[in-house]
Amino acid sequence: MEATAALPAWRVNLATIGALMSRAKNELLRVPGAAIPGVLAPTIFFLGLNGVFGALTQLQGFETGAYESFIVPVSMLQGAGFTGAAAGVNMARDIEQGWLDRLLVSPAPRWVLLAGTVLAASARALIPATFVFAIALPLGAGWPGVDGLLVTFFMVAAMAAVAACWGSMLALRFKSQSAAPLMQAGMMALILTTTAYAPLALLQGWLEKVARVNPVTQVVEAARQGFVGGVSWADTWPGLLALAGLLLVLGALALREMRRTGA
Amino acid sequence: MAAAAAISVRGLERAFDDVLAVRGVDIEVGEGEIYGFLGPNGAGKTTTVRMLTTLLLPTGGRATVAGHDVVAEARQVRASIGVALQEAALDPLMTGRELIRLQATLQGLPGAEGRRRADELLERVDLADAADRRVGAYSGGMQRRLDLAAALVHEPRVLFLDEPTTGLDPVSRKTIWEEVRALNDGGTTVFLTTQYLEEADQLADNVGIIDSGTIVAEGTPAALKAEIGAPHVRLQLEDGSIAEAEEICRGIGALLPPVDGKTVLVEVEHGAADIPRVVRALDEAGIEVGSLELVHPSLDDVFVAKTGHHLEKQKVPPASSAPANA
Amino acid sequence: MEGHSLPRSEAVGRAKGSANRVRTNARVVTALGARSIRQTFRRPQLMAPIVVFPTILLAIQTGGAGGAVELPGFPPVQSFLQFMLAGAMMQSLMLAGNSGGIALAVDIEMGFTDRLFAAPISRYAIVLGRLAGTAALGLFASLWFFAIGLVFGAEIAGGVPGALLAIALVTVTAAAVGGVGAAIALRTGSASVVQGLFPLVLVVLFLSSAFFPVELMIEPAKTIAEYNPFSFIVEGVREPIVSGVDATDTAEAVLAIAGIVVIGLGLSARALRHRLRAG
Repeated sequence: MEATAALPAWRVNLATIGALMSRAKNELLRVPGAAIPGVLAPTIFFLGLNGVFGALTQLQGFETGAYESFIVPVSMLQGAGFTGAAAGVNMARDIEQGWLDRLLVSPAPRWVLLAGTVLAASARALIPATFVFAIALPLGAGWPGVDGLLVTFFMVAAMAAVAACWGSMLALRFKSQSAAPLMQAGMMALILTTTAYAPLALLQGWLEKVARVNPVTQVVEAARQGFVGGVSWADTWPGLLALAGLLLVLGALALREMRRTGA
Repeated sequence: MAAAAAISVRGLERAFDDVLAVRGVDIEVGEGEIYGFLGPNGAGKTTTVRMLTTLLLPTGGRATVAGHDVVAEARQVRASIGVALQEAALDPLMTGRELIRLQATLQGLPGAEGRRRADELLERVDLADAADRRVGAYSGGMQRRLDLAAALVHEPRVLFLDEPTTGLDPVSRKTIWEEVRALNDGGTTVFLTTQYLEEADQLADNVGIIDSGTIVAEGTPAALKAEIGAPHVRLQLEDGSIAEAEEICRGIGALLPPVDGKTVLVEVEHGAADIPRVVRALDEAGIEVGSLELVHPSLDDVFVAKTGHHLEKQKVPPASSAPANA
Repeated sequence: MEGHSLPRSEAVGRAKGSANRVRTNARVVTALGARSIRQTFRRPQLMAPIVVFPTILLAIQTGGAGGAVELPGFPPVQSFLQFMLAGAMMQSLMLAGNSGGIALAVDIEMGFTDRLFAAPISRYAIVLGRLAGTAALGLFASLWFFAIGLVFGAEIAGGVPGALLAIALVTVTAAAVGGVGAAIALRTGSASVVQGLFPLVLVVLFLSSAFFPVELMIEPAKTIAEYNPFSFIVEGVREPIVSGVDATDTAEAVLAIAGIVVIGLGLSARALRHRLRAG
């Protein structure tokens, strides 16, 4: 009477992750206008920052004369942060509505459940990133080259995964959508306390000190390469290391929270 | 040949901060049994179910489900149980079919088999027509049926149903009851929590009555009710002498404490068969009876006897009473 | 009530009546105002984003773009922080106005306003009462950023009178913006719609002189900012801090605020009429 367990564990896990990602896309496809906030926020910031602070490039120390080129990777990363945090909000909603119980009662391992949310966020983040990039090009941002573009989009996807781990951790800890501002603000602070607005040499006071130690600075620099110059491994690996570190730490924390939901 | 217990619970406890929601519960459910867990809101039913389904960690005691410890072997427990919780855990944006297929994937069923099972179960719970509509458009009854179908996708050995018919109309309730019986006939052990007496009475092989975190009574519905006593006849006299009527009835059965000046309560050991005796005796004495009611002990009476308060907030006369006019 | 009264006493009665009405309305505004202020400050978790978010942005933008003071053409300021204080206050008051609109929309959704509308009190008194809470929040925000400025070494060039002027302007503008938020709330009756306008707040701010001198902004944002009434208000708040009280800047700010008040009143009036007709 028991179903014969025919599939090896790795195949079951992969299928589960795929099914959870597939469910996540309903949010975009079946709710009219759901994609808009995620796209709107980074776009407004891009256009706004560009219009307001564009003159900064006149200062010595900027590698580029076009502020658009300088901040477009920041806006793309912001979109990733927003999307990942939104995934956390969705998880909080799932918890409030009891949906997560269905997943927790199944034999699926906890890391598989988390991976579904995180990978879905990574994929979704490509949407606002593409939108912002498409707007930035005609407005004067330099073409980053295919290699630059690939690096940037990879950083975006990975940053979204980091944000999703952060958001999931908070969702599982507080079990409520009211933690949403913390999810969003946390990511915003992380991404903007870097060389987002200006190169390190031009940052003032406390921000210069924070940007020095903030791992996301490396991510911003790596994502920015193609837009302000050429792509090199030397400029890329620190960003990869930073992302790996963040994913490890926040992923572990999120997983811990998921394992502790019944405590 | 002792059948292994499908569910075995020893001294199960759960504390929230300083409050003990479940205090030392012992339960034994045999394979193929329907166990009814009956109690008022806040008694600890849902907390107990969440511990048995590995959603909540006990703070004391032990439990095994389908032979596996709920703490140490949680994974194996999850693979053996089907769960339909009080709040149907559904996603309004998915269609019914998508949901059951997702459940199949979660349970590790290969794609083709999952699809086949989904079609089968949707047919079985009469949702085949609505299968490709979004769950958000389903009625309450439809959602419960879908939840039940999803719980069955991997043919679990033990099925947990937490208040499966709360809030449903009578027709939907009967449908769920029939489905539960059919499942049980197929060998599935069912652990059912409910706040409805009738549900426990009708479905359960064994009933555990829980109040304020402890089990106050356990046994088959019949045994529990018999413990309370025989049925009694409730006589409402038109007028005239209570004392005389009481004297006459005393000859037929023990008198229960009177509730007011116009009513006589007399135990009748043989139930309805004793009614003609009562009627004749009173008629011969020329005593006019306004109304006569045969009252069977209910599980609520069991509850009242054990805890001092009623199970259901509004006391509804049991369906089995047979009013008769002399 | 006035059965067969003589003309003179009738006139007296009428005057008494309208004096009574004014008193009643004043009471209503005070009561509703007190309620909205209580509501605002009783839930710090709702209040926090209105002040905390601009504070974080202030810190980041001061640190990130602070080098701008070196740019040729940047107005003479003691520090970038000193320059940015006005913008941060502006941001807070806009968010306060938005949240006041949300609060009114929630009242409408809950049916609380229906009860008020059914009472014999002026419709405007109801809206004014709500705005009192928004103004209080604006006041709080201006005090907060002054405190931050002083703690981190920014000088107030206009001294105490300058600070008071800035605080007054911020408080009144908060109410004015709140009026627009209230109008939207009355028109749509939906809290989520009003909430969805939050990005608009950012857009309006970016297209003004809140964060950067207009002369140094990039087109087309520059031209828009030149004509944006909020730029005038920002300058009116900024001047007392950066250089001193200036009559022209103050007058322009007051005019801009008046313009927003008129728009807010007009929209509110229309929305009220529509709502009361539609039921």
